[in-house]
Amino acid sequence: MSESAKLAGAPKGPGQDAAREETPVSVSPRPVASLTLPTVRREDLDGHLIVVEGTDGSGRSTQIALLTEWLESQGFAVQTMGLRRSALIGKDIDALLARNVVTRYTLALMYATDFYDQLETRIIPALRSGMVVLADRYFYTLIVRAVVRGIDREYAHGIYELALRPDLTFFLNVRPEVTFLREFKKEPTISYWEAGRDMHLSDDLYESFIHYQTLVRKEFVHLARRHNFVTFNGEGSIRAVNADLRRRIADHLGIRSVRYQPSQALVHLWR
Amino acid sequence: MVEPSAEPKAEKKPPRNYPGALVVVEGIDGSGKSTQLHLLQRWLEVGGYRTHFTEWNSSPLVATATKRGKRRRSLTPVTFSLIHAADFADRYERQILPLLRSGHLVLADRYIYTAYARDGARGCPAPWLRNLYRFATTPDIVFYFRAPLDVAVERILSGRPRLKYYEAGADMGLSLDRVESFRIFQGMILERYDQLVESEGFVLMDGKLPVQKLQQQMREIVSMRIDLNRFATR
Repeated sequence: MSESAKLAGAPKGPGQDAAREETPVSVSPRPVASLTLPTVRREDLDGHLIVVEGTDGSGRSTQIALLTEWLESQGFAVQTMGLRRSALIGKDIDALLARNVVTRYTLALMYATDFYDQLETRIIPALRSGMVVLADRYFYTLIVRAVVRGIDREYAHGIYELALRPDLTFFLNVRPEVTFLREFKKEPTISYWEAGRDMHLSDDLYESFIHYQTLVRKEFVHLARRHNFVTFNGEGSIRAVNADLRRRIADHLGIRSVRYQPSQALVHLWR
Repeated sequence: MVEPSAEPKAEKKPPRNYPGALVVVEGIDGSGKSTQLHLLQRWLEVGGYRTHFTEWNSSPLVATATKRGKRRRSLTPVTFSLIHAADFADRYERQILPLLRSGHLVLADRYIYTAYARDGARGCPAPWLRNLYRFATTPDIVFYFRAPLDVAVERILSGRPRLKYYEAGADMGLSLDRVESFRIFQGMILERYDQLVESEGFVLMDGKLPVQKLQQQMREIVSMRIDLNRFATR
């Protein structure tokens, strides 16, 4: 694992930090650039980067949980990533979203910071050590969210020009009318951001949700064409979608058998 | 990995659809820019003009994350750049642009060129940096305070007990000695600034001149290039 990853990976107590600050001599000189973007080369990374994209309620997280178990049972080391999970800024974004004070470029750039922090401190080291990284959303979601809020498409793409391109990107395509029912089942109230309420589309929450998620889905379909996503109809059963995903991933990783039966821990997802 | 294109994308700069004006100072640490902007602000305030001062790296929204990243030394060139871009965006959207729209003369201590120079020196590609800040309007005047490296470094060192990690560019592994690292890093930034002078239309200010002389020049240029009557409050 790289030096920078070690520094970032282990959160330190305040006492240790203070001690580090007092040390006048910095860490030994090292060619930082070769360990981090923008100079890291995809071909130096042995692992595989597989992304599952889709709107809220499209079944991504369920599929990632199942795929993780399946791949680990096949002997692959798996690392997952998702949005707002960086040690650097993840919690700050949560707090900002809760307060709803943030403007669109600021939010887009904070999400970008969160994304690149995970990419550089966790994902690239994982790929370097040959792991399979399963990403529950990737920068495509961030482009979509920015673009539906009126940020220029090329600007949004430009932010992520330094990011690694996935080996496989799946898009679980589900109509908003269907995702609404799924989301409502999980939590019998629709969140501010899921309904895109910051965009002031409608005071009727259902209408706001459908309108917002329709815009999001449309932009995803655009990206799917531009970036060659593998699109699946996400309205099928979890089992059927999972079989589709396993087939494509098995093909990519050279796994012979795609047979899989979830363990007791996950069997409740198997519908 | 996609190689960033050599040429910046067709830059669609936002239109200057506001009655305000924007004056920026840029330069390496210790170049004297902040002192000069402060004196300019005093002059404008005493003259009764509607002015507002804003400085780099000061948005409260992003401050916690920036501090955390710096303390843990977990920032890479890319995340260092992005977190400062987020900070700038917050100030831009909630402060600078509304002030310009409402007819203020905005004085900015550092602007997007600081990111071009400093993050560029850290290895971030220029087209990527330019794209990040594409939403920001072009200033009416950019004063670039150019002081010789030794003079600027000496000013900083004499007034400060200890250089901070990122400030000294210690993350780049330039030298084990923090002062030496700072000197090299500032030199790299200076080089980047120099490359921007022509393309960005900087007004070059000679940092070796006495403070009053420089201030006099600055005031003359501001009066010449900006119709100050627009900002008179009395």
